[in-house]
Amino acid sequence: MSASLAVNLGGIQMKNPLNTASGTFGFGWQFEGFYDVSCLGAITTKGCAKEAWPGNDQPRMADVYGGMINSVGLQNPGVRGLVEQCGSYLAELRERDCQVICQVAGHSIDDYVAAVELFEELAPFASGLEINISCPNIACGGIAMGSTPEGAAEVIRAVRPRTKRPLLVKMAPARVPEIAKALEAEGADALTLINSIPGMAIDVRTRRSKLSKPTGGLSGPLCHAIAVRMVWEASQAVSIPICGVGGVTSGEDVAEFILAGATAVSIGSQNLFEPDCAPRILAELEAWVAEQGVRDINDLRGALEC
Amino acid sequence: MGAPTPSAGRLANALVRENELVSGEIYRILLEAPELAQALHEGQFVNVSVGGEAKQLTRIPLSFTQVDEQEGTVELVYALIGPGTRQLSRVEKGETLSVLGPLGNGWNLSAPLHRVLLVSGGTGTAPIIAAAMALAKMGVDADVVVGARSSDLLWGIDALEAKVQGEVIAATDDGSAGEKGFASEPALALLAKHDYDLVLVCGPEPLMKVVSAKAISLGIACQVSLERTMACGFGACSTCAVKTVHAMKGACMDGPVFDASEVIFP
Repeated sequence: MSASLAVNLGGIQMKNPLNTASGTFGFGWQFEGFYDVSCLGAITTKGCAKEAWPGNDQPRMADVYGGMINSVGLQNPGVRGLVEQCGSYLAELRERDCQVICQVAGHSIDDYVAAVELFEELAPFASGLEINISCPNIACGGIAMGSTPEGAAEVIRAVRPRTKRPLLVKMAPARVPEIAKALEAEGADALTLINSIPGMAIDVRTRRSKLSKPTGGLSGPLCHAIAVRMVWEASQAVSIPICGVGGVTSGEDVAEFILAGATAVSIGSQNLFEPDCAPRILAELEAWVAEQGVRDINDLRGALEC
Repeated sequence: MGAPTPSAGRLANALVRENELVSGEIYRILLEAPELAQALHEGQFVNVSVGGEAKQLTRIPLSFTQVDEQEGTVELVYALIGPGTRQLSRVEKGETLSVLGPLGNGWNLSAPLHRVLLVSGGTGTAPIIAAAMALAKMGVDADVVVGARSSDLLWGIDALEAKVQGEVIAATDDGSAGEKGFASEPALALLAKHDYDLVLVCGPEPLMKVVSAKAISLGIACQVSLERTMACGFGACSTCAVKTVHAMKGACMDGPVFDASEVIFP
């Protein structure tokens, strides 16, 4: 009998630990031409705010060693736009036994609250909400609010009473243990980490940033070892489940996150480089679990020996 | 409302039949990819993955010049502009590359056409050659202006002269081949001289801006093919944004070809 891969991410029951990192997976439907998206345990949709955002100027991405850097600036259709354009698809994906985590973006606490209320009103398909307090590419909100325990706690304190659905928080790659503790204390059901790492890429001939802004967010394999360390630190600090994100390209990368303490693991930029990677990564994960000789993948969570 | 339609792009492993320098820093690569060759429409693009280059994990978006449906081949053109395209130039005949396509919306050549003006610069000449081939098949007259910085970077003239029923004018910034100056100058002169019912432009944004503004002022339909840095090519990453009079659109799914009247040029 093959081992059980089912996990529970803060109240979101997933048939396997694989999730997708917000911003690398559109709204899910973009991948249906490559494979059956419902093979994933969950997807996380692009962050949406109470109203549509146009995002940042061009250029928005550049290649860097081991990954990429982006400054999309959370371009999104707003919660209403998401529901109008993709609501029926996402509801149908839920029926296909794939959980739908909707990411929430905001420029202020009032923005986050308003967006959560809109999701409550309009998006019955949402299995859970992921509050993004760590986007490095917007002028206010995002990382500006999520980079201190006090700022992060304030956002979650405001949104927590507005929803009974599982509430996840997308964390910045900074001050992880103390911010994780603050979020757990405010009633977050799970933590997603890490968001992209603030970085820079400069065209030395023109002396200009390769993005429309001086800095952007790094993603891709270059982030993986940093993310594994931060997931391990968070898992030592809190008892709520963690979704590990950062540079996953293989089942082995997923396994590292699980051994470091993650309950679920998101595939990020690899979705863009190799759009049909998820079924391959899932098969590799299954092979690893079988090789480890356990009947339940939960027995491997946090099983790092050192 | 139903689910939005995913990209028609599919992944395939394509055999490299040829990969050679055309001129200056311009290369052409001929790929054996029968399903892609059947599916591609002029003005669409493909995303090519190069292995073994840590500075290029994203796929490289490339335009095609021509397909041979019988042979099942697709000819792509690229310029050496960074580590990814340098790695691509080292790929040898007989190797395989992962390609994703067809991507995006190509030129719309469906209206009744009598005479079309084609204007290009740099690697923008690739989709212009594809358009010229299609127009020649349709028996539509076309004049072409091809620009480059200098003679060693000028390419595609022979292929165009062999195909189009009309003038082919070369222009170089330094005057080392053809007319001296930007491609916009002969293009504007042609617009004043002939009655066109469509103008297609692909090249640097200032060229597209100047030529499309003139065409629109004359009441001539104009399409532009835009270049953007992009990570996916199928609508998932939101990096290839294009400002339009309607909304922010994506070059990969809504373009790369746009009606010039909707594009807000910087």
